[in-house]
Amino acid sequence: MTYPNGKVALADVNVSIQGGDFVFLVGPSGAGKSTFIRLLIREQVPTAGNVRVAGHDLLRMRRGQVPGLRRRIGIVFQDFRLLPNKTVWENVAFALDVTGSPRAIVRQRVPQLLNLVGLHDHAHHLPTQLSGGEQQRTAIARALVHDPAILIADEPTGNLDPVTSWEIIQLLIQINELGTTVLMATHNQEIVNAMRRRVLALEGGQLVRDEAAAAYEREY
Amino acid sequence: MPFVRFIGFSIIRAWQGFWRNAMMSLAATATVILMLVLLSALLIVITGLNSGLEFIESKVAVTAQLEDGLTDAAVATLTREVEAVPGVASVEYVSPAAAMRRLEESYRETGQELDTGGATIRLFASLEISLDDPDASGTVSAELTDDPRVERVLTKQAEYDTLLGIINVIRTVGLVGIGLVGLTVLFMIINTIRIAVYSRANEIEIMRLVGASDSFIRWPFILEGILCGLVGALVTIVLVAVVWDPIQPAMVTIFQMPTAVSARFLTTLSVLLLAVGLGVGALGSWISVRSYLSAAR
Repeated sequence: MTYPNGKVALADVNVSIQGGDFVFLVGPSGAGKSTFIRLLIREQVPTAGNVRVAGHDLLRMRRGQVPGLRRRIGIVFQDFRLLPNKTVWENVAFALDVTGSPRAIVRQRVPQLLNLVGLHDHAHHLPTQLSGGEQQRTAIARALVHDPAILIADEPTGNLDPVTSWEIIQLLIQINELGTTVLMATHNQEIVNAMRRRVLALEGGQLVRDEAAAAYEREY
Repeated sequence: MPFVRFIGFSIIRAWQGFWRNAMMSLAATATVILMLVLLSALLIVITGLNSGLEFIESKVAVTAQLEDGLTDAAVATLTREVEAVPGVASVEYVSPAAAMRRLEESYRETGQELDTGGATIRLFASLEISLDDPDASGTVSAELTDDPRVERVLTKQAEYDTLLGIINVIRTVGLVGIGLVGLTVLFMIINTIRIAVYSRANEIEIMRLVGASDSFIRWPFILEGILCGLVGALVTIVLVAVVWDPIQPAMVTIFQMPTAVSARFLTTLSVLLLAVGLGVGALGSWISVRSYLSAAR
């Protein structure tokens, strides 16, 4: 993957992730983690090579098919990206509303997800009335509204204290156990070492390590 | 049902967006009103002048004032000869007495009495010639000018040409003015919607990431632009309806001719104003949203 300014963001990266896996994506800033994620959600198209996600060939995908792909992928970010003027309920329902889901589905699905992430009692709170962990739980609930095959978490614990970070990891494990593939980009050495899951390590746009049940190994 | 949900979603979001960005939306709407008021004024004036033009066309196109002393037989002969000229629709003989009565009548219409100061006024007998084709005026007038039985030939051609010239000038200046105001309106709507789009960039990004289609992202903004055009058009239609009755006699006074515009034209004008308002709103917002969305995948 080469940017128009000539910078090579990813080169010779060959990765296959099976459905139901829990995979960590690690590497220093500028290693290519964000580009890797943007390729998966087709925010960018590779300049060479191919990307297949949930049975879709992203290189040949037409623009009109991209929304369908993104409903198969849930994504959460370090900065939560919640809408500040909407309540927890509305933030989650928003993802259904903007994809044309009937109100009956919204009324059924939103409480299910708020129960799953443990926010049923906070449904009518605004994001500013929530802790960081609760905001991230809201973002996870929103990412799951379409029952995606894959959940991508880009530094989901980056803004959280250690205790809250572990709560979020427990939630991601729970989601993974329900059958959703989880790919989590992180700098959190403690979590990676404790979890002993597959680790993909990127450096300078190259895949330098791909190990199952691995540790973080080095300081980034 | 999905389409109904889509329409409902888009309308609600457009309405919320209009009021969230109220100052810019109202400014854009005000420029739409300005443009549509100018357009209405231009169309009303041009339509009025066109009806004045038709009135002139329908009036006597050529008047031949006759020499004194022509016998009835000579007048009848001349009348038949003129009727045979191509382009002539009809010929009417007006005696000096009838011409005098008309003069007195026209004075009375202005609230005055004809006062000759005791002198006797002798008016010419004349032939009033109506034409099938206003352009035949030159031919008919040329035929009669050299006829010894005719004292003088008067035509409405100069008056007609002057009015036509005025209408063309008003139409050209008006269309250029409206074109310039139209561009300003388009620019205002493009900017209003662009500001709305940028102020909701986070929301749009989330929509894209959770799998909203381009239509769900684009149409609320397009409808927001259409809303500016719709409100502008409705306000203008109310304004035009309010001033409709007072401006009719005012136009007759200004242009000194029957320039009345039929009430049916108000309906046509309203439909046109709605179409232009909605069209400009849709075009402006479409340009704005298209450039933003095509930049984002």
